[in-house]
Amino acid sequence: MENSIKGEQIIQDLLPRKFKTSGRIWVGILVAICLVGAYAYYRQLRYGLVVTNMRDYVSWGIYISNFVFFVAISLVGSLITAVFRLAGVKWGAPLTRIAEMIAVGAIIFASVIIIVDMGSPERFYNLFLYGRIQSPIIWDVIVITTYFFISLLLLYYPLLPDIKILLRFKEKSGPGLSKFYSFLGSFWKGSHKQYLLSKKAINALCVAIIPVAFTIHTVTSWLFATTYRPGWDSTNFGAYFIAGAFLVGAGSVVVAMYIFRTWYHLEKYITPDHFDKMGRVLVLLCLLYLYFNVNEFLTPFFKMKESEAGYLNDLFSGSFALTFWFAILTGIILPIIVLLFKSGRKPLPMFIVGIMVVVGAWFKRYLIVTPTLLHPFMPMHDVPQMYKHYFPSWEEWAISMASLAGTMLIITILCRIFPIIPIQETLDEHHETVK
Amino acid sequence: MNTMKLLNKLLAGSIAVMLLISANKGFSQGAEKASLSITLSYFEVNNQLPHISAMVKTKVDGRFRPAAGIPLKLYLNKDSSGTVIGNIITDENGQGFAFIPPSLKNEWKTSKTHTFLATFDGNKKFEAAKADLTVAKAKIEINTSDKTITAKVFQLKDTSWVPVKGVDVKFGVKRLGADLPVNETPTFTTDSTGQASADFKRDSIPGDSKGNIVLVAKVEDNDQFGNIAVEKTVPWGAKFIPVSNFNERTLFATRDKAPIWLIIVSGGIIIAVWLTLILLVQNIFRIKKLGQETE
Repeated sequence: MENSIKGEQIIQDLLPRKFKTSGRIWVGILVAICLVGAYAYYRQLRYGLVVTNMRDYVSWGIYISNFVFFVAISLVGSLITAVFRLAGVKWGAPLTRIAEMIAVGAIIFASVIIIVDMGSPERFYNLFLYGRIQSPIIWDVIVITTYFFISLLLLYYPLLPDIKILLRFKEKSGPGLSKFYSFLGSFWKGSHKQYLLSKKAINALCVAIIPVAFTIHTVTSWLFATTYRPGWDSTNFGAYFIAGAFLVGAGSVVVAMYIFRTWYHLEKYITPDHFDKMGRVLVLLCLLYLYFNVNEFLTPFFKMKESEAGYLNDLFSGSFALTFWFAILTGIILPIIVLLFKSGRKPLPMFIVGIMVVVGAWFKRYLIVTPTLLHPFMPMHDVPQMYKHYFPSWEEWAISMASLAGTMLIITILCRIFPIIPIQETLDEHHETVK
Repeated sequence: MNTMKLLNKLLAGSIAVMLLISANKGFSQGAEKASLSITLSYFEVNNQLPHISAMVKTKVDGRFRPAAGIPLKLYLNKDSSGTVIGNIITDENGQGFAFIPPSLKNEWKTSKTHTFLATFDGNKKFEAAKADLTVAKAKIEINTSDKTITAKVFQLKDTSWVPVKGVDVKFGVKRLGADLPVNETPTFTTDSTGQASADFKRDSIPGDSKGNIVLVAKVEDNDQFGNIAVEKTVPWGAKFIPVSNFNERTLFATRDKAPIWLIIVSGGIIIAVWLTLILLVQNIFRIKKLGQETE
């Protein structure tokens, strides 16, 4: 009896809730940012890419930086859901849905921002009409589509048992959402056969998503590494990108964990122990990423080839030095120092560290793209002065910020519709504990 | 009154000092003029139109450096100001050259030797300079047989060409950057018949599509004859068959020319992954069917 009451309490705690005033304001802010971005995009469509500050040399600016950032962050779905599940890490279970929601939101806007970068959206169609299988750009298109589809399935399958629970509370959900839930999973009865099929599918997805996740970011790194440029001409790039992606993904999960925990009062389900363990994961990933950064920058710095000297000096002590050292310190070094202490792995410090990692990672992506383009092997001759510098125009900022807001809006909508923490899994775990 | 005297003295003194300074400046300007060193060279290839090359240098910080932008006037004969070959201006390497123009054909034929003259009139930076070079008319004949090259050096004496003994001849194959010696011996000296021979030891050297290479026999920087050379095309090289992968299946070809291995590998991966995903979607319908059966 007591067990059943406890179970009902868990369900009540974890059911999606309507937005209160603060939630509506949050959504309003995100929508407003998206609208400003939409207006900037209208201007880009109306007047062309000339409204951006991208020119002949810097043809990949903040859009592509954002794209790399989104692809990186989306990898968290495979880390938390697949790697943890296959490795039998049970404490990660409450975080799987958060990770999948972030992955879906990020991968959607990774695709959107690529279309924005093309200038006219109909050019995307040309990729399918005239795309060459020899080009890493086509590999990226294929692998992003695949990863998006797997992420959707990995979000959907574990939702089925929860949808059955959600359908029990039709009056709480409202008629619209109830219809939607019915459409998604009214057929789920929780029979043993259904459970077995679902479990098998989830396991297959977990196995499939890992190589696809590695491919998506490796291929993204190859977009750069297969182009002969200072700073990109590296065999280290695939592993370097994967390590950075896992780090920023884990950082974003930590931030989301803290916000959901505080906002929805989920202290009983996302405990300090979860933060402590995520902190350990995060520090490991920070150290790994630091290792790849040392590899990436120390050897070229040691050799200081003439063709790369301009680029390296610009990063280390030139016009990009402030951003570079900020990204390294904020995104890697300081998190390592904080997270090595147990008190640094408590919820609030972890939240701050998570923000540092995500912000540092965003700037790091900017530094991967832009400084290289400003230092071509062939010196710049007879070009207007503005071609030699790059700072995004307000349209680029607005669109980029809108893409970030759009990702957060998708995550917000998903957590309004679906339980943030898998209800059935939590119930099963509770029953096992009671036994 | 005394004040006026003092002012006058000061004025006179100032003017004197200024004159002294300006005079010194003028003197120092004159002293700053540098001297030029002009070197002339004579070239004739395949007994065709000869040309004169000038190299102009100046001393900067104790070392000779090329002097650019120096206008020189070249003459065919030192003692005849009417035989102007032309005006040249040295480039950034301090060099310039001029062909002997057809208008000097008669003057060229009148003598077996010529003393070329180059003059520079001087300017604000450099003092006037001149240089001359005496060259006796000579020619080389080249013959080949059984991968052996024979060169004969002749000098014009009176009205006939006579063989010259003791002239150093180099044999080479013309390549893009320089001439490649035909064997390990750098130079060969002509005998009493004016002949020098060398064996061709560059069998596998790439030639054109027919295997043709250009042999060259040359006399370089000779005090008497200057630089003379003669060339001959022989089919002694390896046939060069250019390899072009244009329109073949490569990573950089058009989409319809993708490498087969890439199509198989990428197609295989895409089919394997998407087949799995299709099966997983089908699995949803199986779960759905099971649910409907339970109802």
